[in-house]
Amino acid sequence: MVTAPHFIREPVHLATSVDEDDALSDGQRLVEVSDMMEKELILVGATAVEDKLQKGVPQCIDNLAQAGLKIWVLTGDKMETAINIGYACSLLRQGMKQISISFANVEESSQNSETAAKESILMQITNASQMIKIEKDPHAAFALIIDGKTLTYALKDDAKYQFLALAVVCASVICCRVSPKQKALITRLAKEGTGKTTLAIGDGANDVGMIQEADIGVGISGVEGMQAVMASDFSIAQFRFLERLLVVHGHWCYKRIAQMICYFFYKNIAFGLTLFYFEAFTGFSGQSIFNDSYLLLFNVVLTSLPVISLGVFEQDVPSDVCLEFPALYQQGPKNLFFDWYRILGWMGNGVYASIVIFTLNLGIFHVQSFRSDGQTADMNAMGTAMFTCIIWAVNVQIALTMSHFTWIQHVMIWGSIGAWYIFLALYGMLPPKLSGNIFHMLIEVLAPAPIFWLTTLLVIAATTLPYLFHISYQRSVNPLDHHIIQEIKHFKIDLEDERMWKREKSKAREKTKIGFTARVDAKIRQLRVKLQRKHSVLSVMSGTSSNDTTSNSQQT
Amino acid sequence: MMEVEGSNTWMNRSPQSSFVRSKALYQFKQQKLPACKPVLTPTSVITVFMLMGFVFIPIGFVTLRASRDAIEIVDRYDVECIPEEYRTNKLSYITDSSILKNCTRYLKVQKFMKAPIFIYYQLDNYYQNHRRYVKSRSDQQLLHGQEYTHTSACEPEESSNGLPIVPCGLIAWSMFNDTFTFARESAKLKVSRSNIAWKSDREHKFGKDVYPFNFQNGSLIGGAKLDPKVPLSDQEDFIVWMRAAALLSFRKLYGRIEEDLEPGNVVVVNLMNNYNTYSFSGQKKLILSTSSWLGGRNDFLGLTYLVVGASSIVISIIFMLLHLKNPRPYGDNSWNKKSLSS
Repeated sequence: MVTAPHFIREPVHLATSVDEDDALSDGQRLVEVSDMMEKELILVGATAVEDKLQKGVPQCIDNLAQAGLKIWVLTGDKMETAINIGYACSLLRQGMKQISISFANVEESSQNSETAAKESILMQITNASQMIKIEKDPHAAFALIIDGKTLTYALKDDAKYQFLALAVVCASVICCRVSPKQKALITRLAKEGTGKTTLAIGDGANDVGMIQEADIGVGISGVEGMQAVMASDFSIAQFRFLERLLVVHGHWCYKRIAQMICYFFYKNIAFGLTLFYFEAFTGFSGQSIFNDSYLLLFNVVLTSLPVISLGVFEQDVPSDVCLEFPALYQQGPKNLFFDWYRILGWMGNGVYASIVIFTLNLGIFHVQSFRSDGQTADMNAMGTAMFTCIIWAVNVQIALTMSHFTWIQHVMIWGSIGAWYIFLALYGMLPPKLSGNIFHMLIEVLAPAPIFWLTTLLVIAATTLPYLFHISYQRSVNPLDHHIIQEIKHFKIDLEDERMWKREKSKAREKTKIGFTARVDAKIRQLRVKLQRKHSVLSVMSGTSSNDTTSNSQQT
Repeated sequence: MMEVEGSNTWMNRSPQSSFVRSKALYQFKQQKLPACKPVLTPTSVITVFMLMGFVFIPIGFVTLRASRDAIEIVDRYDVECIPEEYRTNKLSYITDSSILKNCTRYLKVQKFMKAPIFIYYQLDNYYQNHRRYVKSRSDQQLLHGQEYTHTSACEPEESSNGLPIVPCGLIAWSMFNDTFTFARESAKLKVSRSNIAWKSDREHKFGKDVYPFNFQNGSLIGGAKLDPKVPLSDQEDFIVWMRAAALLSFRKLYGRIEEDLEPGNVVVVNLMNNYNTYSFSGQKKLILSTSSWLGGRNDFLGLTYLVVGASSIVISIIFMLLHLKNPRPYGDNSWNKKSLSS
């Protein structure tokens, strides 16, 4: 919008007198007046309305790109707006080759022109893919820009896989004038065609289709209403919160779930197999060495709370480190913590623990008396001792797995162990009608026997020794990235050696071609090349060296 | 909906006491609770394993010594106590109630055994832990006697000749009935047969006014007969037998010899070989054993402690060598060599 005043030097007779005949209408009269006024205008300025990006969006996109995510934009806006948005958040930048797939001519839907259109589009896609393939510069970046009309053809069954192949190679994909149905179709194509996890984030009712289609749907609540929020898996208030959602909470949740599931396998295998080995000694008649109440309590009370505290509170690195080291996020997509090696390792640990617990208890409480007053152990005494060993071993194991101990974890772990002893004591005090064979088990039979306590200590050490060896070895010889960060934080090296910390942070970024960091890097590369060329020109001019052909670079 | 971070304004308005609580709640919700994050450094690893080794090896020696202090005499008598003429047909010998089955065994004492010396009988290949067997008892009937009638778990030893059996069940029916008397050079040894059962059993699980009734009256005799004039709470042999053992071989306390035994003494045992273990190739053994503060003779605990302690020491030495040869500086900044990035 342009602002320009017109200075009135002398009074102007604006309106015709009232009593003239009203043949002219009001509108016509206005036109007359404006014809009179709108000349000799002096341009003062222009105003423009900018539909601003939300606060923090370019930053967020930059960080997510550095975390290794690929970002596509699907919008209903027109192409110019979409391209401007792309520039604003550095999805597009100077130096990126823009591949635009569109109609050469705007066609009506007649049979011939439809096939011609499809062929034209397919040709454009193939040409673009060809061009990318022969590109030699490793830093070259391509942006794919396509509009909704073209997409109707590009998403048809015979063209969509070529389209996807092209889109995947490009650094960023911007689709404009997309209808809600097409948003969902593109999301489905990306999800099924690449097999990767997709996340869709949107704020309006037109995003509901793609939010539901994607593996993870995030809705932004706000100006455009709550439809996106109601259809989504997660909802946030601003776009920039997506970064925290993924890089901090996503990362933590992946680790927590992986650890929890592996530990659950271990715990139940250690418990179940111990129970099973005993069957070999009872003629496989099905007699359990444990009292029924132990079996009930094991998974519900005695070993569930530490797992819950692991799943809710475990943090391998604090949240600020997650944000500063985006490359740590890739531990999730690469599935480093829930691969078969880990699962089978934990299961093997469970088998080993069950063997150790069973054989040790069997060997120690063998036939001879186990107390100084000459009593021998019956089935319930041996079963209770064995169960105590299991509870200890399993809980000490989870304490070794955790890396982040709040007071809650301590209460849960040691409290579970204490609860077992308390339960045994209290249950044993109930009359024999209720407590059966556990009557006075702890206070009369087991607690006064030193062998009971010695066995517990031995079993704890024997079951956790291999695991302790494994993690110590891994940390010394082959540490994982979050181990190193934990060490740095532990020894406060990040405070002493700030430069090293900064250097580490700058290294912890996935290679990406979008985002403003990438834009800055590209600019630096460009300047460097220019500098090199200037030097070579100078050296030629000064005649010191022969033809110094520097590397070609694209003229941008 | 995610909370906007850093919104502390609401906290400033709260009074002191609820300020503390809301701060704790804030920390909980934002997962910023104060935490300790232990890190395994080479020093701590070596220290832990060393410590474990240095604690476990002495414990191993001490327990091994305690186990060696307990002296044991084991004597298997079930084969040799059958007279020569019945060796080929042991079953008919043992089931024939007209033959008197006494037998004399001579146990030579090798080392000094201090009183009290515990007498056990050991049965091998005996599944006292079989599920049907363990189930076959009625604890309520043991406590209350005949008035308790829901004894269906005791099948088939629930009733005979139309009358209920007290105590019912297979465990009671199969009670061990060999008896032993001990003498040393024709002088009888003082053997105490009381206080061999757990106190809680005697006082709380077996009724003081419950008497055996209609017991071992059927056609199949499984084991001992109980004196119907003595209440169950005083029948200590029976109480000891009723505690189901865990394994195939088990010992049960029979009594205590209240005198010392010198090395070179020969203990003469007159036993009645009544119990039928021949039909399932079980074994019977008589054991005299002293007990240390740890219990009877079993080297397993001591040896295992030594093994675990020794392996800890070995592991700590391995880590020490590893650390000296290949020291990896803390916070080694050649990270990402595991190439997270693609």
